[in-house]
Amino acid sequence: MSILTDNSGRANPDRLLPRVVSARRGGMVVAALLAVIGLVFVWQASLLDFGGFDLPGPGFFPLVLGVVVFALSTLIAIEGWRGAGEGETVALGHRDVLIVFAAMVAVAALFEPLGAYLSLGLFGAVLLVVIARVSLPLAALAACIAMAACWYFFQVLLGLQLPRGPI
Amino acid sequence: MTGFDQLVGGFAVALSWKGLLYCFIGCLWGTIVGVLPGLGPLAGMTLLLPLTFGLDPAIGIIMLTGIFYGAMYGGSTTSILVRIPGEAASVVTCIDGYEMARQGRAGPALMIAAVGSFIGGTVSILGLMFIAPPLAKVMIAIGPSVEVVLMLLALSVITLVSAGSRIKTALMVVLGLLLGSIGLDNLTGVARFTFGYTSLAGGLSFTALAIGLFGVSEILINLEKTGTIKAITPKLRDLVPRLKDLRDAAPAVGRGSVIGFIFGIIPGVSHVVSTFVSYAIEKKFSKHPEEFGKGAIAGVAGPETANNAVTGTAMIPLLALGIPSIPATAILLSALTIHGVQPGPLLLTDHPDVFWSLVASMYIGNIILLILNLPLVGIFVNLLRIPYAWLVPIILIISIIGVYSVNFSAADIWIMVISGGAGYVLRKFGYEMAPLLLALVLGDRLEASFRLALTMSGGNYATFADTASVIVLTSALGILLAVQALAWAFGYRKAIADEAEGA
Repeated sequence: MSILTDNSGRANPDRLLPRVVSARRGGMVVAALLAVIGLVFVWQASLLDFGGFDLPGPGFFPLVLGVVVFALSTLIAIEGWRGAGEGETVALGHRDVLIVFAAMVAVAALFEPLGAYLSLGLFGAVLLVVIARVSLPLAALAACIAMAACWYFFQVLLGLQLPRGPI
Repeated sequence: MTGFDQLVGGFAVALSWKGLLYCFIGCLWGTIVGVLPGLGPLAGMTLLLPLTFGLDPAIGIIMLTGIFYGAMYGGSTTSILVRIPGEAASVVTCIDGYEMARQGRAGPALMIAAVGSFIGGTVSILGLMFIAPPLAKVMIAIGPSVEVVLMLLALSVITLVSAGSRIKTALMVVLGLLLGSIGLDNLTGVARFTFGYTSLAGGLSFTALAIGLFGVSEILINLEKTGTIKAITPKLRDLVPRLKDLRDAAPAVGRGSVIGFIFGIIPGVSHVVSTFVSYAIEKKFSKHPEEFGKGAIAGVAGPETANNAVTGTAMIPLLALGIPSIPATAILLSALTIHGVQPGPLLLTDHPDVFWSLVASMYIGNIILLILNLPLVGIFVNLLRIPYAWLVPIILIISIIGVYSVNFSAADIWIMVISGGAGYVLRKFGYEMAPLLLALVLGDRLEASFRLALTMSGGNYATFADTASVIVLTSALGILLAVQALAWAFGYRKAIADEAEGA
């Protein structure tokens, strides 16, 4: 919760990001995606033993819930189609949001191959340079100190064994 | 052993050096996350959840609960001094708290908020102490059919009291239940929706989902915001309120305690709703309602007391019934489960040490917070000067390590990242994450109890309405669902009518 200035709704027309989308259309797309998720669960649940209404099997509950997710999502999409949220906009894809998200995806992929300390150190340094606009040497120093602190706290004090990677 | 003996035993744990240390850490971290915009009790608890795994269950829960009520205290500081609600339950405090600060009366506002929080918190702990044990005894006697109806009732109330669109909240509840079905089926052991990944056999990691949906999505949303923070920092000697302040605040504190106490049991966003209700009631009861919005101390005392009074009573459904009523208690449920302690009616008989240590630590934590918050207020406010962009990598690194350390699985990091991205988009389009998380926690048990009840009754659905208590609960559930359906139908028709009128 914050009342910091909200820049999410402002889009610079000269720049590609953030992209302002219609709340109605965007809402319909989100609802459609949720409906698809519901359908995927229905399909997968149909492969399981349904049991009966008197003695439900493992497929019963997810099948019913999947149908309800599909139905509610469809209702929301219909509401959007009928005009709910008309005139409202939602800004998506703020530069910093995309960078942080991409960096997190990279960490998830590299956490075990590169090791926790190297991947997280790189992650921290990149974010400090790109988001906090800190100079590269300072960011590298901060990342090294942070990783040393992490190693001491998590590995030495708490005894957590994190992946070491090639080091 | 009597309840008093057990309470004494609880104090022995809470007053041990470990108990005190972790209670202090929880309160301190809670205050910090309460002060920092964009981090609330949920993010604070989920971030430190993995750190409790190496601890004794009682000590771990003491620390997590300390974060919960510490955040409630911390949120009021920034509301009063900066007009930034550190967390959602402190929004109302901004109105009169900041006005008081502008008039040079930040000290009394902080003092009354802290004392009110202390009193509200203490009243609610008394409630927890006296209501939870007998309620748990009643719950032991009931069967799975009552459990099903109770859980459905809780989920319906969450949908009904939702601040946003009810249909979207209902969708989040059902989606949460659906996601809860991922993993091995409790009754037959059949793998469901695992797609061959053994890491999904135990279900989606609750910690990863909670940090993703709440912590990561909150960080992503806050990255879109910028701003400069100008804080008013009072001196310690200015904290003492005038006699008139005390006279005005005392009844508000009393009413806030009662309101928070009652709202704490209601599932949903009770800690937030209780503050709005308290503010409205104070304005109604005041001889000078025109002063509200211009620095009325009752406008600070009432809501601040109410949001802290919620913390203790919100534990009653969790500890006595095993049903979390607000997202923060869902995190506690998860933590207890990870520690091998099942919250619910048997908690008091199987793990009385955990329950009574928690109760004792809440008394101690309230005192720690009172001591911590007033003299150190200047330090906490200065935390706001740390650029948010510096905090982001620190918070995310702790989150990633924390999530990984639960199961030592990189798959959990993927779950956190994906749920963080999904949470960001869903929140942008008006979907609330709390109902999804609460339903996710309950999903497994709801399904197991539902199927067990039907098995025990030979497939007879009348089992969900065959005893007096179930009839009452089922009726309440029926009424709630009917109200919900009507509200949606009428809202929908109105929207169509408005559109037709507009056309």
